Amino acid sequence: MNNNHSSNNGLNKISGYPFITIYIIHKLITTLKNNTLLYRFIFTIPVFTISLLSVNIKAYADTLYVGTSTVDITPELPVALDGQMHLRIAREVGTPLEANIAVLESRHKNKLIETTVFVSCDLVVIPSEMLYQVKYEVHKLLPGFNTDKIVMNAIHTHTAPVVRANVYPIPEKDVTQIEDYYSFFAKKIGRAIKQAWDSRKPGNVTWGLSQAKVGYNRRAVYADNSAKMYGKTNIPEFRGIEGYEDQNVNSLFFWDKQGELIAVGIAVACPAQEVEERYEINADYWHPVRLSLRKRFNSRLCVLGWIGAAGDQSPHLMYGKAGEERMRNLRHLSRLDEIARRIVFAVEDTYEVVKTDRHNDIQLIHETKDMSLPMRLITKTEYKASQKEIKKLEAQINADPKAKDRLFRKLNSFEGDVIRRYEQQKIQLAPMYNAKIHVIRIGDIVICTNPFELFTDYSIAIQARSKAVQTFVVQLAGPGTYLPTEKAVKGGHYSAIAQSNLVGPEGGQLLVDQTVELINKLWNVSYNQKVN
Amino acid sequence: MNVHLLCKTLFYSIIFFFLISCKEKEVDNSSQMYIGWASENTTPNVPVIIHGQFHARVSEGIMDPVTATALAIESIDGQSSKKVILISCDLVFITDELRDAVRKRVTESLPEIKPEEIILNATHTHSGPQYSASREVIKETTDNITQTSNIKSTYGIELEAMEFSDCLDFLTINISKTAKRAWKNRKPGGISYGLGHAAVGNNRLQSGVSGKSQMYGNTNRKDFSHIEGYEDHSVNLLFTWDNKKNITGVVVNLACPSQVSEGDYLISADFWHETRIEIKKRIGEELFILPQCSAAGDQSPHLMIEKKAKERMQQLMFPGTESGRNSSGRRKQIAMHIADAVTSVLHYTKNNIEWNPIFEHKVETIEISRRLIEIEDVNNAMKEAKEWEKKFEKMLFDITENPEMKEKPRWYLEITRTHRLMLRSLGVKERYEKQKMQPRLPIEIHVLRIGNIAMATNPFEYYVDYGMQIKARSPAIQTFLVQLAGSGSYVPTNRSISGGAYGAVPTSTLVGPEGGYELAEETLKLIDEVWEK
Repeated sequence: MNNNHSSNNGLNKISGYPFITIYIIHKLITTLKNNTLLYRFIFTIPVFTISLLSVNIKAYADTLYVGTSTVDITPELPVALDGQMHLRIAREVGTPLEANIAVLESRHKNKLIETTVFVSCDLVVIPSEMLYQVKYEVHKLLPGFNTDKIVMNAIHTHTAPVVRANVYPIPEKDVTQIEDYYSFFAKKIGRAIKQAWDSRKPGNVTWGLSQAKVGYNRRAVYADNSAKMYGKTNIPEFRGIEGYEDQNVNSLFFWDKQGELIAVGIAVACPAQEVEERYEINADYWHPVRLSLRKRFNSRLCVLGWIGAAGDQSPHLMYGKAGEERMRNLRHLSRLDEIARRIVFAVEDTYEVVKTDRHNDIQLIHETKDMSLPMRLITKTEYKASQKEIKKLEAQINADPKAKDRLFRKLNSFEGDVIRRYEQQKIQLAPMYNAKIHVIRIGDIVICTNPFELFTDYSIAIQARSKAVQTFVVQLAGPGTYLPTEKAVKGGHYSAIAQSNLVGPEGGQLLVDQTVELINKLWNVSYNQKVN
Repeated sequence: MNVHLLCKTLFYSIIFFFLISCKEKEVDNSSQMYIGWASENTTPNVPVIIHGQFHARVSEGIMDPVTATALAIESIDGQSSKKVILISCDLVFITDELRDAVRKRVTESLPEIKPEEIILNATHTHSGPQYSASREVIKETTDNITQTSNIKSTYGIELEAMEFSDCLDFLTINISKTAKRAWKNRKPGGISYGLGHAAVGNNRLQSGVSGKSQMYGNTNRKDFSHIEGYEDHSVNLLFTWDNKKNITGVVVNLACPSQVSEGDYLISADFWHETRIEIKKRIGEELFILPQCSAAGDQSPHLMIEKKAKERMQQLMFPGTESGRNSSGRRKQIAMHIADAVTSVLHYTKNNIEWNPIFEHKVETIEISRRLIEIEDVNNAMKEAKEWEKKFEKMLFDITENPEMKEKPRWYLEITRTHRLMLRSLGVKERYEKQKMQPRLPIEIHVLRIGNIAMATNPFEYYVDYGMQIKARSPAIQTFLVQLAGSGSYVPTNRSISGGAYGAVPTSTLVGPEGGYELAEETLKLIDEVWEK
C-alpha cells in the first residue's frame, strides 16, 4: 500500500476499536482516582488523543454511494461513420452502441461531500459542443447538479456516427445529420445520468491491476530514422518499434450493499478500432467484453470502457502475425473476440485477487483544471506543402466530383487546418489550446483524463510520478487529436506531423507536469483535511 | 437381410481402416521423431561464489536448487538421422570452456552425437555458481584463460569457496549426465507449439528529459521522460508428447532473464524455481520444463512503473509473503503469469500434435563487427583502472594489516568489487589491442527448424529491438530466440548508445549496433536456408 496513505488505514483501524479505548480509560480512572494531580494529567492524554482522532476520522470516514445506468445510443440508420479519411455510410448495425454511466457520491453524516459522474461512450471522440448539450440536459433534469463533475470519454470506435462537424461531406438528405444525433444523444445521456443519480445507494469499491497484450505500438522505425504508422516490419530496413507499449489493464470494481457487482471501470491503453474499416455500426471490442462480463457477473453490469493513453497504440498486429493468427484460429475466435478474451481474463484475474479488499469509507475527491497548452506551430515549409497538396486535391475533385467523398476530409480538415492555423499564427503569435482535465481520487487510486490521443510515453511518465497506488489515465475525454512525443515528431508520418497535431511535445510535457501536480496535491494531507 | 449384411460389412470395414490408421501412427519407424527428457540438480554441496554481480558473494546456503534440463530430439527419415540436444542451465552464462567440456564428455560416451549438436543456454540467474572468470576477463584475454580463471585472479583475494575449475568440473559432469540421460530416454513422440503472452520482462532503461538514459533507478522524478525502448512479452511454447498423447515436457521461451533475487547470498534458480512448481502443479509433476531467454538485453523482471500497484497485487495474491523488488512475492507473481500463458495455450495445441515435423539444424561460426574502442576510451579506462588499482592496494593492505577485518560478515564485498572494476577497465585496453588484429568477433550460432517454428541462438544479452527484427522478418510461424547460449556481452542499439546507460557503454559491450544488425541478418539468412529445404 502507498505509504502516503497508510495513515488513513491506521486511523480507520483505530476507529474500529472504541470499546478497547474506553476500557483503557476506565482502568486508568479506577487505578488513579486517589491521585488527583496525576489523574488529571493522565486523563487529559486519552481525551486529547480521542479528540484528535475524531477530527481525522471525520476527515476520512466518508461513505460511498454508487448509482449506475446503461443506455443504447445507436443512431438511426443510415448514418455517416466517423474515423476514416473517407466518407462511409452505415446501413446496418453490427452491434449496438452504448453509453455506460456510473455516478459516485461521497457523504459524511448524510451531507454530500463530493460527486463524480463517469460516462463512457461508444464514440470516436467527445466534441465540446456535444458535452455541453449533455450538461444542459442534466441541468434541466437535475437543477443545481454540478455538471462540471461529468467526465465523458470516447472508446474511439471508428464505426460510430460522425460527431465532428465539417469533416465529412455528409449527404443532406436520407442520412442522420450530426445535429440530430447530438440532440438524440444529449437527451438519452441526460436521462441516463438522472437515472443513475436517482438509483445511487451505499456501495463498495476496490481496484486492481493486471496486464493484457491488446495494444500494439503502431509506429515502425527504419534505418534512416524515419517512422511510419502501420509501417512494414518484415523488411530489412526495419529497426524497431518506436516507443513503449502500455499493457496494463487497470480495473475498478463497484458492488452494492448486497454484494452484487454493479459496475466495473476498465482502462485499456488501446483504442477500440479493430474493425475500423467496416461500413456498419459497431462498438468494436468493447461489445464482446461487455457481453462476457455481464454473463459472468450481472446482466445489468455497467462497464465503463476507458482508453488509456494510446495515441501510438492500436489493436492491429505489427509483427508475429502468423503466430497470433494461428492461435486465434485454434481458439475459433474472431479478432474482436480474441481481444475481448484477453481483457476479460485480465479483469477476472484481477477480480479474484482483489474481491475481498472492498472499501466503503474511501476518499472521493474530484478536481478539474482548464489548461492552456502551447499549440504546435506551423512552419512556412509545412504551410507551403499543404498549399501544394490542396491544389492537387482540388484538381482531383474537379476532375472527378465523386472523389469528394474520399478526399474532402483530407482537403478541408487535414490540409485545410494547416492553412487556417498558419494564417491565425500571423495574428496570434503564440496560440494556446485549451484542454480540460479531470483528476479523481478514489481511495488509493486516481483517475486522470485528457482530451487527446495521447502518446504512451506521456502516460507512463504520469503513472511513474503519481503518488497514487494505481493511476488510471483516460484519454479522449474530449475532442481528440494526437499528442506526439519528440521522438515521434522526429520520425514523422501520420499522427506526428503538423496536420495531425494541435499540440506538440512541449504541450505534452506541460500536460504531464500539471496533471502530476494536481494528482499529487490530492495526496497532500493538509489539502485532504481542507477539502473535507 | 441384404441391408443388414451391407451395414455389417460397412461397420467392420470402418473398424478395420480405423485400426490400420492407428497402427500406422504408432509403428511407422521409418519416419519418426524421438524425444527424450532429463533434468539434474546441479547445486554444489559446498560454498561457491555466486555469479552475477561485480562483487563476490560466497554462498551462505541454498534457497532452491539450480538445475540443468535437457531435451533430446532425433528425427529419423529412412536411414538419415538428425538430432540435437538442448540443455538449459540455471547459470548466469555459458562459457566456451563449459560448452566444450560438456560436448567432449557427452560425445565420448555417445559417439553418435556430434559436438555441435549439443546446445547450451543459460537462464541468466544471478544466484547460480560461478565456474569461470568474470566475463570481461574470459573474453578479452582468451589466450590466458587458465591463468586468470580462478577466484584470486578474478576477485584479487582468496575466498573460502569452491574454486572455479572444480566447479567447472562439477557442472560438466552433471550437465553431461543430464544430456546423456535425455538422449537415452528418447522415445517416439510428437510436438505442438503455441504463442502466449506474459508481462514478465520490463524494459529496464529509463530516459530523462535531457535524453540521457540509466539502467533501473527511480522513475518517480520530475525529469523522467520515458522508457527507452520496446518490450517483448511474447511467450513461445513448444510442447512434447509421447505416442499416447501424454504431455512430457515444454520449452518455455520468454524475453526475461531470471534475476529477481539477484543480490542474494543463497543459491537459487530465481523465478524459474517457482515457475516450474506452478506449471507442474497445473499440468503434472512429471513434466519437464526447459526455460529459454529470448532477446532481452534491455529487459529484466524488475518493475519500473506502477511498482506500488503491482506490489499490492503481490500482497493480495500471496498474503504473508514478502513483496516488492527482489522478493519471493515477485517471483511467485511471475510464476503465475508464465503458468497462465502456458495453460492458456496448451489446451488449443493438444489437438495439433505433429508426429514427424520437418527437422533441420544449422550451426555456423560467423564473424560480426566488434564495437571498436577509441583511443580516448582506452585512456579513460586506464585512468579509471589506475584509480581502482590504488583503492584495491589500499584495501588489501588494510586487510593484511588488520586480519580481524575478516571476522566481519561479508568483509570481502568492497575489495572484490574494486578488483573486478579494475579488471573491467583493463579489459578495454586489451580489447583495443585485439581489435587491431581481429576486428570481427567469431561467434557460434544455431538455427533449428521444427515444423513451422524456428529456434535461433546467440551468445549475447541481445537487445529487444534486434529480437523484433528477427521475429518480424522470420518466415517461421513462431521464432524462438535463445540468448546467452554463450557468454557474450550486451548488444545495444543506436538509441541506447545515445542514451549512454550501463549496457550501452563500451566497457559493457563487445559488439555494437553494427554487429547487432549483422547478427540479425546472419540469423535470418540461416532461418531462410532451413526454410528452403
